[in-house]
Amino acid sequence: MKLTRRQLMKNGLLLGASVPLSLGAAWASDVGLADDPAHGSISLFGVDRSTTELGQGLRQQGWTPRYEGRLDPLALNAQPAGTLATGFTDEAGLVLLTSLLAGRGRVLALGRHDAGQHRLLSHRGPIAAPLAVDAGSWQAALGREYARLATASGSARHRQDIRRPYGESVSATELSFLVRL
Amino acid sequence: MSTTQRILPKGVSEADFDAALVRFREILGADSVLTEGDQLAPYTKIMMAGDDKDYIPSAALLPTTTEQVKGIVRTCNEYKVPIWTISTGKNLGYGSAAPGETGQVILDMHRMNQILDVDPEVCTALLEPGVTYQQLYDYIKENDLKLWLDPPAPSAIAGPVGNTLDRGVGYTPYGEHFMFQCGMEVVLANGEVVRTGMGGIENSSSWQVFKWGYGPYIDGLFTQSNYGIVTKMGLWLMPEPPAYRPFVIQYDDLEDIEEIVDVLRPLRIAQIIPNAVVIVHTLWDAGTHVQRKTYYEGSDSIPREAIERIKQDEGVGEWNVYAALYGTPEQIDVNWKIVEQAFGKSGKAKIMYGEEAEKRGGGFEYRAALMRGDMNLQEFGLYNWRGGGGSMWFAPVSQAKGSETKDQTELAQKILGKYGFDYVAEYIVGWRDMHHVIDLLYNREDPEETQRAHDCFAELIDEFAKRGYGLYRTNTEFMEQVAGTFGEPLREVHKTLKNALDPNGILSPGKSGIRS
Ligand SMILES: Cc1cc2nc3c(=O)[nH]c(=O)nc-3n(C[C@H](O)[C@H](O)[C@H](O)COP(=O)(O)OP(=O)(O)OC[C@H]3O[C@@H](n4cnc5c(N)ncnc54)[C@H](O)[C@@H]3O)c2cc1C
Repeated sequence: MKLTRRQLMKNGLLLGASVPLSLGAAWASDVGLADDPAHGSISLFGVDRSTTELGQGLRQQGWTPRYEGRLDPLALNAQPAGTLATGFTDEAGLVLLTSLLAGRGRVLALGRHDAGQHRLLSHRGPIAAPLAVDAGSWQAALGREYARLATASGSARHRQDIRRPYGESVSATELSFLVRL
Repeated sequence: MSTTQRILPKGVSEADFDAALVRFREILGADSVLTEGDQLAPYTKIMMAGDDKDYIPSAALLPTTTEQVKGIVRTCNEYKVPIWTISTGKNLGYGSAAPGETGQVILDMHRMNQILDVDPEVCTALLEPGVTYQQLYDYIKENDLKLWLDPPAPSAIAGPVGNTLDRGVGYTPYGEHFMFQCGMEVVLANGEVVRTGMGGIENSSSWQVFKWGYGPYIDGLFTQSNYGIVTKMGLWLMPEPPAYRPFVIQYDDLEDIEEIVDVLRPLRIAQIIPNAVVIVHTLWDAGTHVQRKTYYEGSDSIPREAIERIKQDEGVGEWNVYAALYGTPEQIDVNWKIVEQAFGKSGKAKIMYGEEAEKRGGGFEYRAALMRGDMNLQEFGLYNWRGGGGSMWFAPVSQAKGSETKDQTELAQKILGKYGFDYVAEYIVGWRDMHHVIDLLYNREDPEETQRAHDCFAELIDEFAKRGYGLYRTNTEFMEQVAGTFGEPLREVHKTLKNALDPNGILSPGKSGIRS
């Protein structure tokens, strides 16, 4: 399923229960967005609030996220070479995604967001953002960081564990990714 | 923490490796020689309980022709560069697409993906290694051929060549894949090309129909081995039957496994039930779509009380037998009566097919798809059961006898319990044998749990071997240990063959514990 922003808002019902109302609202509003999208489009996968926030972070850095719904690694694999994709998925999705990229794409960054910490792995040099929530949500901060890594030229592998603030409510582990086909 | 250190093949100098890379680029073109970290990252994702650092490739090569493979092999011999061959590279839970050890160059054959021939009359195919089941499936549909495939559970993304070469299994009557392989083209370590079976006869029309050829039959030497690189493989396809009836039989008690296998065996041997039947435990049947934490948060193995709740909520049994009948409607009716009678005797079995089975839920829908050779990825849901990305298949082989199940099940549960893991398992009943497949699922993000999973797997191998049960296949972390359980004389033969065929040890060193 590929939905443009306009279709997305029109089809609010289609995305239904699994997508929080903030999704449409966030994209409808222009608050905090870069004046001029500088980088072009990026496929955005996931079906919950985290995806919405991640998309916001990307937009703030000049990317135009194209919402693709739940990650279907097979469909992603069919997209043209050069496609950038990011989002959240589950364990099964991550296994499929990384495996399908062998010889077909690049893993720029992966994140595992557990109760106690964020574990980030970048193949584009050091991770700069601490994912602090004072400038909005950690997902939006992650979006800004992924936006930066998408164009970074570094090639070193970098791992960083970031402690999450005490008391932050976390219902489940979330898995994020940034890849280029 | 940043890492930029260059990975080199073991024992190869930087200068020699650079020279080899130059040669590889000449042979393949620069785009088909991958050396950058983010390109190689997908080849480093392992799910087994090993150290990530032990499984990092130095490069990946993507050939498109047999000629290129020959050139690669010659270069590898010259510079003593070891390569690890994969076809579609989806050996998930067995080492994935990662090399057998750090520094090896991945020879990724997925771009050699031509369907060279499909003959709908004799029901055969000749394929290159990169062909996926999905690709072949689409070809058959597009050409309206009345043929069925036999995919393993990762169906769409995996491929017949890689799966068969690792002696994988599927779920139709053609489930034992190597049995249905016919003819290979192999690039040997010295760069020579050999065609097995009838393939050596010029213009032979029987390469894909007569397996044995003349003289010693050698196809098996190229399975689970490192004696050659298979560049073409023939296989037999199943003619689409006029009718198909998948069914499920549910049993409620752990001890029922003995009865199930004893009832099943004669039906399998006589081909009343012709397909590879699975007897799936609750945790696997539910684990493909249910998360553990919904029922239990503890880090020890899931207690009986939680298993009973899952059975209740999901409507699945302790053991769930998925099988199918194939043939004309009349044949199916006759065989169905035999099945009902055999399983109905003790009064313990709940037998379902058609709408009743579909309504029941559990794994019926995806099992029914796999037993007719359709593409389905539902089983990946197992990775959401416990989470954390750790998975290792433990798969000992035994006779298909009830008496062989009780002690195996107990032993597995005891060892898994000792280390705090769940018994996520199924028995696959072949023609006379049984694979007891256990998915050791664990959190790979937790070093302590990963170590526990490692120790658990090692103990499973040893304890099962002591009782006469060897593994049919294993992951790269444990290949050495498993090879040890099969005894020194066999290892010596493997090594002698390796020395003769690949004296420089350039092909997949360590595969099945074999090195020159
Ligand atoms: C959820 C899940 C369910 C699974 N269920 C099944 C199942 O039902 N049945 C089953 O069999 N497996 C199963 N697997 C394991 C595995 O994913 C499959 O066996 C898969 O088919 C193997 O990957 P592949 O086909 O891409 O082969 P590859 O990864 O390409 O190859 C497998 C191995 O064969 C050798 N090899 C490959 N190509 C060549 C070549 N050209 N020349 C020489 N040697 C070569 C190599 O040693 C390689 O490591 C499952 C995995 C998952 C995650």
